[in-house]
Amino acid sequence: MSQPTREELTQRVFEVLRDEILDPPDSFSPRSNLVEAGLDSLAVTQLLLSIEESTGIWVDEGLLTPENLESAETLAALVHSQLPGS
Amino acid sequence: MPGVAPRARGFVPLTGADGFLRAFDHEIRRTAGASHVSQLVLRLGPGFDPGILVKLVEELASAQPIVRAPIGRRFGLGRPVYRTRAAARRPTPRVEVVDLPGEESPPLPERFAQRLNEPISLRRGELLRFDVVRYAGGAAGTDLAVSWAHLLFDGAGSERFVRWLDECYRGVQRPSVLPDPDELSPRDEARPGMRERGERALAWQRWMDGFGTRPLRSLAGPLRRTRQALRYDVLTLSRGETQRVVEAASRRAGFLTPMLFYMAATIRAHHAVFRDRGVDPGSFVLPLPVNLRPKGREGAIFRTHTSLLWFQALPEQLDDFDALLAALKRQRVEAIRADHVENCVHAMDFALLAPRRLYTRMARAAQRGELCSCFFAYTGEFLGGLDRFLGAEIDNGFHVAPVPPSPGSCVAMSLFEGRLNVTHVFQEDAISDRERDIFREQLRRDLAG
Repeated sequence: MSQPTREELTQRVFEVLRDEILDPPDSFSPRSNLVEAGLDSLAVTQLLLSIEESTGIWVDEGLLTPENLESAETLAALVHSQLPGS
Repeated sequence: MPGVAPRARGFVPLTGADGFLRAFDHEIRRTAGASHVSQLVLRLGPGFDPGILVKLVEELASAQPIVRAPIGRRFGLGRPVYRTRAAARRPTPRVEVVDLPGEESPPLPERFAQRLNEPISLRRGELLRFDVVRYAGGAAGTDLAVSWAHLLFDGAGSERFVRWLDECYRGVQRPSVLPDPDELSPRDEARPGMRERGERALAWQRWMDGFGTRPLRSLAGPLRRTRQALRYDVLTLSRGETQRVVEAASRRAGFLTPMLFYMAATIRAHHAVFRDRGVDPGSFVLPLPVNLRPKGREGAIFRTHTSLLWFQALPEQLDDFDALLAALKRQRVEAIRADHVENCVHAMDFALLAPRRLYTRMARAAQRGELCSCFFAYTGEFLGGLDRFLGAEIDNGFHVAPVPPSPGSCVAMSLFEGRLNVTHVFQEDAISDRERDIFREQLRRDLAG
């Protein structure tokens, strides 16, 4: 499994949230605040499981902070930092 | 019947979770002479006018018949429903007003706890009531308890209900218009076929049966015929204390999953009582409600929209708080990975078709008459952003989650304006005053980290 780039991860996180987990408004974008968009405890775990499925990396929920839940971009940056060799 | 308004159909189907709570209401009535009643309490400042509440409730009951709809199976068969067409013949939900002398920091009125122990009839549509206690004619503040048959709202729904009442008072909403117009319609999303739903319900049942390998013990012990006598304590932490607790919960359990921190503290508080009694608890098994509303919009007010995740902690995991927390985190992720949130929904849907007594008997069978070790809920910010209700300032507010006499102990936590409220509801004979001190001391110590 080749390592995804940060941009690819951002797109993946954004699409999973938009299409599978959240019921966001049309204005939802990779820069939208995730908590304001409805991300809650169940949704975030479903997202992390989806990320694990596509990258093989489990991101512990304890690492999640308001800062890295600012947007799909910031969350993807956290996931990227957990990839081996990052 | 997609597209047909509930009022035209004359009934609203119960959700699977409603059916679960209806079955336990039946069990409590049969064995304990009471009902499964939930409560939300607001402690209000001066200026609350009960007359405004009475008028609002009358408008509400006229516009939303579900609040007084008899519940039962249509023609005695099939899935149970809220019989909204029959609701017009039922009385308006009661608003009872009592005046007491003014005093500094009055204790919570006794009548609030009494409401948890009074039998109500779902068949007759006795689903909702309000108790208002005014101090010095309201000049020294008012306590308000909203009590309801636990299936009418879940925790999130009850907060949305209070917020909606206030919006109606301010003219932002009308009682005839629900914020979520689809909430009383049948679910029309694609559901798996009957075979897959059956398999998933069985998967959930097998998962539940697995907890029976280490039998559990609750403070009250297995189901017995005893009168329900619930009381509750409310522990309110200061803003400074709460800030430290919230930071510890976020740091150790995760910003979006702090409930596991609070759950670990709750388990250890119960364990402290068992240790003091010198008895082996076997294991601690408890459910955690999961909100199923769509993420990103507010969703429904009425009916229960929850699933349950279950956890099991062994006594040998309890000496080290971090080890217990790690075990709970692991179990939660594995349960979500195994789709048990959805599996539980399918199991509860099937159970709607079963007789209520069979349903509760199955739930207790795997644990030799016990249902679980205790109930626990953490609901986060309570009425976030709402600082006044019908014009009066809200000084504090919290949930009082109900519990059957067995397991006899329930802890509900929420935050109001930077203060953590811990409501401990207990069956009177399940825990002594001295044990409640032990319970509180351990809880407070763990919350403080």
